[in-house]
Amino acid sequence: MLEVIKSGLETSIQDWPGRQGYLKVGFPWSGPMDHWSFRLANVLVGNAPGAAGLECQFIGPTLRFTREAIFALTGADMQAKLDGQPLPQWESIAARAGQTLEMSFAKTGARAYLAVAGGINNDAFFGSRATFQKGGLGGIDGHAIKAGQVLPVAVGGHGRAGRRVRLDQRPVFATDKRWQIEVCAGPNDDWIDDAGQQRFLTTDWKLSSKSDRGGFRLDGPQWTFTHRAHHKPPENGSDPANIVDHGYPLGAINLAGQTPIILVNDWPDGGGFINPYTVPGCAFWKLGQSRPGETYQFRQISVATAQARAREITASCAESSIE
Amino acid sequence: MIYDEPRFRPGGDRFLEIEFGDELKLELNFRAQGLGQALTQERIKGVIEIAPFFASALVHYDPDVITFEELKAELLRLINAVASASDVELPSRLIYMPAMYLDPWSAEAIDQYIEKINPAKERDPDFVARINGLEDAAELVRVHSGTEYWVAALGFWPGTPFMMPLDPRCRLFAPKYNPPRTFTYTGTIGMGGGATAIYPVDGPGGYQIFARTPVPIWDMQQRLAPFKEAPYLLRPTDRMKFVPCTREEFDEIHRKCAEGSYEMNVVGYQKISLQSHRAWVATLDLNARF
Repeated sequence: MLEVIKSGLETSIQDWPGRQGYLKVGFPWSGPMDHWSFRLANVLVGNAPGAAGLECQFIGPTLRFTREAIFALTGADMQAKLDGQPLPQWESIAARAGQTLEMSFAKTGARAYLAVAGGINNDAFFGSRATFQKGGLGGIDGHAIKAGQVLPVAVGGHGRAGRRVRLDQRPVFATDKRWQIEVCAGPNDDWIDDAGQQRFLTTDWKLSSKSDRGGFRLDGPQWTFTHRAHHKPPENGSDPANIVDHGYPLGAINLAGQTPIILVNDWPDGGGFINPYTVPGCAFWKLGQSRPGETYQFRQISVATAQARAREITASCAESSIE
Repeated sequence: MIYDEPRFRPGGDRFLEIEFGDELKLELNFRAQGLGQALTQERIKGVIEIAPFFASALVHYDPDVITFEELKAELLRLINAVASASDVELPSRLIYMPAMYLDPWSAEAIDQYIEKINPAKERDPDFVARINGLEDAAELVRVHSGTEYWVAALGFWPGTPFMMPLDPRCRLFAPKYNPPRTFTYTGTIGMGGGATAIYPVDGPGGYQIFARTPVPIWDMQQRLAPFKEAPYLLRPTDRMKFVPCTREEFDEIHRKCAEGSYEMNVVGYQKISLQSHRAWVATLDLNARF
């Protein structure tokens, strides 16, 4: 069990791949944004890669172990200490009953992941333990963790301390505040003219502070459109970026008028704007570790390349990456 | 337009979007829903889920099991096997939804928008009436409440319905707010494009608003009988009929919903086919308004 002393900025229980299978009634998947770091944390402590753990955003929580446990921290470096002793990341650690894990603000990256051997054992809701805070469901009472709560941990975990993720198997975060993000064209790239597509792929887009686990807003230049965006039946809507309401894929670069919003884990899964590009799953760890004010440059790759890259990441989230 | 061949577009590494056309037509939604129904009867390996929308469907697949091209071929086979959309018969519950039109809460949200964001905004009921060639807001109420609505899809937020009128004489259009509104009350009913929706919770919004229902469409406490299995009321292919109510009735129903004693009227024996709908529409004078 983990007793929450301080909650951190917005720390939530997540599992991977999250609440899948209910898109047609409007449930987003939720789950960890940087699912690479998340899965590695679970592998370190002997859990299934998708077991429920904590996602800590920007400022981590302070937690007390009510019984001994094996845990691991990956992702952003939140300067974690156990009873005041600095802790390594990417390594499994043993805690004794009564010890306190204290995390601070993220020195690098944006989201840290905490896995505990056995996994967090809150009640599943529609097949997943993941928290969808805006929708008030999943996690515990549908919210990020709160001071005073006790987070249940399943007994029977068989983790060991002192296991580390090999250096060459860890995601490497940008140190110059610039991220190269892979995108695939579509579904609505044919609504954007050549100049607009060129502009999208050559611009330094700035991640706006008006971003959360539902959407990442980007600041940048204006978009220009093809003929069909201006000539369409009225039920599409009057703005060139309007389309008859349709489903939104996770990762869609959703064009709200002139503002592109990358739809991330807690995304609204349908609406009336076009999605000219989609960020594939293999680039989500970069989204999860970038901070408002930092810069994205988009690089177009094929669907097959994106799928191959996702396979490489999944292959890395395994025992072979541990030393 | 209904496309001759459905168009298959990739959405990253795990999604495929099928576009059947670019209009708000029952036939297009029948194609999307018909495919959804066919996929639950005959599973394609590697397809994790399908979310039909108005004129399209989003398919989520596992690329480790099926490639984009293989999936496209399988879907095309299934779409052709569904035959024509006019043969598809879909189960459809009819839900009677009390609604207070020209309500004070929508008015409050509109006032707030005019005051803080756009002083030039014409009030929503007057605006929607005017651009649709109706006499006044009272006629808007008659037209908007004069039809059953087809729940073409749920999305945007859990359990939020995207609906279209089944009676072509009640078809209305409304552009969305630009920029959007920062606040809307739970249960507010509004229109964007040709679609009608209900706001499941308090929040921002872009639809033109002119009514509010006291009955929840989303309730995590699952207090009323139709919420027994899930926290959302509606399912795709349901129909909804708005029943205009007074402020007194609104307050009374609102109170009963909160304590879980409201008896919802949900009719559950009917099926809808495009064929029967078409035959009925053919008998109508499409220029008539109520």
